[in-house]
Amino acid sequence: MEFYDCNAYFGLPAVRPLAPVGTVGGLLEEMDRAGLSRALVWHIAQHDVAPQTGNAMLAAAIAPHERLWGCWTVLPNQAGEFPPPPELFSQMRLARIAALRVFPDSHKYLLNAVSMGDLLAAMSERRVPLLLSVARGISWGGVYDVMAEFPDLTCVICDHGCWGQDRLFRPLIERYPNVAVDTAQYLLDGGIEAFVSDYGARRMLYGSGFPESYMGGMVMAIRHARIPLAAKALIAHGNLERLIREAEL
Amino acid sequence: MIGNSPLCREFWDHGRSASCPIYDMHGHMGPHAPIYFPRAEPQEMVRTMDEAGVKLLVFSHHAALNSADLGNQPSIDAVRRFPDRLRAYCMVNPNYPEMLARDLAGFDGLFGDVFVGFKFLSDYHRRPLTDEGYRRAWEYADARGLPILAHTWGGSEYDGEAVVRTVAERYPNVRFLLGHSCHGAWDAAVQLALAFPNIHLELTAVFDDRGVIEKFAGEAGSDRMLFGTDLPWFDPHQAIGVLMNADISDDDRHNICHRNAERLLSSIVPDLVG
Repeated sequence: MEFYDCNAYFGLPAVRPLAPVGTVGGLLEEMDRAGLSRALVWHIAQHDVAPQTGNAMLAAAIAPHERLWGCWTVLPNQAGEFPPPPELFSQMRLARIAALRVFPDSHKYLLNAVSMGDLLAAMSERRVPLLLSVARGISWGGVYDVMAEFPDLTCVICDHGCWGQDRLFRPLIERYPNVAVDTAQYLLDGGIEAFVSDYGARRMLYGSGFPESYMGGMVMAIRHARIPLAAKALIAHGNLERLIREAEL
Repeated sequence: MIGNSPLCREFWDHGRSASCPIYDMHGHMGPHAPIYFPRAEPQEMVRTMDEAGVKLLVFSHHAALNSADLGNQPSIDAVRRFPDRLRAYCMVNPNYPEMLARDLAGFDGLFGDVFVGFKFLSDYHRRPLTDEGYRRAWEYADARGLPILAHTWGGSEYDGEAVVRTVAERYPNVRFLLGHSCHGAWDAAVQLALAFPNIHLELTAVFDDRGVIEKFAGEAGSDRMLFGTDLPWFDPHQAIGVLMNADISDDDRHNICHRNAERLLSSIVPDLVG
């Protein structure tokens, strides 16, 4: 079974973690160690420096590597720092950028219709995935707020944490049909099985949280989960493939 | 596949290893209000253990942690149901010294068959490990060389590295298991392990921090590390996957999964070890 990671970054953070991976080469080595085929990745400079800087670094780094898709970061665009949505999506397609991430708390804005309505509406319409990390840059309240305004948004909630977040993400799964969660730090024993039993396997994606987490941990948890093989395949790679395929860039 | 060793291959194929049984030295049981647990009852936990090759779980029931009304009885009852798979830590809540007095009075009668040592949860009970409410348990364990599993967290005023050092100096005969290995204060955890031969680095919630496994194995030695998952909190297969993924040897993996625990428990539960 192939595993595609939807939640990994590379690059050197401003605050050094225990085991940073600075280059795309290092990332690919770690993917090989954990047996991963492909990954949707981002560059930490998108968060720590500036989206424009990090986006360019990401696009240049992944360009030679067909195993990698990129995930850019955007900001509110009142100052015209980014092209309008159609042009942005075209640039994404050309650079093998398959999704977007935002960090509204870190980058000091509100993720809502007033700040980013044109982009969020276009993303909803064209099913461009938005990845939100509740460990970095947005709170649960922020996730609830943006989904209330854009209920059709394709959204993957990442890094929801190891201390039992079902009561925070399950209401979103039940209310909004295009919300999914990743598996980074979803360590709960029986959590994958319970989720699949209640919601099916199309709403969960394998994500590692690399480099802060090991890629292999949740690979092993998915591989030996008590769910059908077809469900494992969806979580391991099928759902990410589908989201990328459905995005109209 | 994750990793490339024969042991990794066995875990990858089967989810468990006949040659590398696992002793999970940090578990719980039962419901706990802040978290939804799909598998918190003992029979469900034993099934998880079977699938991951966990031979023995040493745990403290959530009721014992959080209700002085119920105390350790739920832990005792669960061990009685699964005597070949479960052992318990006698939970000490320093806010209720009468509970400790009662438990110590009955401890000898339950030692080995039910209890293997004590569990402290200072951050939650808001009393430092040096608190008077723990003293009798420390002294009891120190006199007998018993294990104490203490929740430890980097920087905590209750059970951070400075407090751990104080009690480690005071009670050198306790087999001191640092639950979560002073989480986040990784350098301090290594220094504690190097300074105190009775200290062991227990890995619950460490498995999701990449690089710590290699750091501990390289700097403190894998003979000082213990497998733990907080079961029913964390899936043991996630921890196994991390051990397969980490840049350590199969010898290290054997130490972490079973050899160190066997050494700790062999005199306490000889029928279950080996």
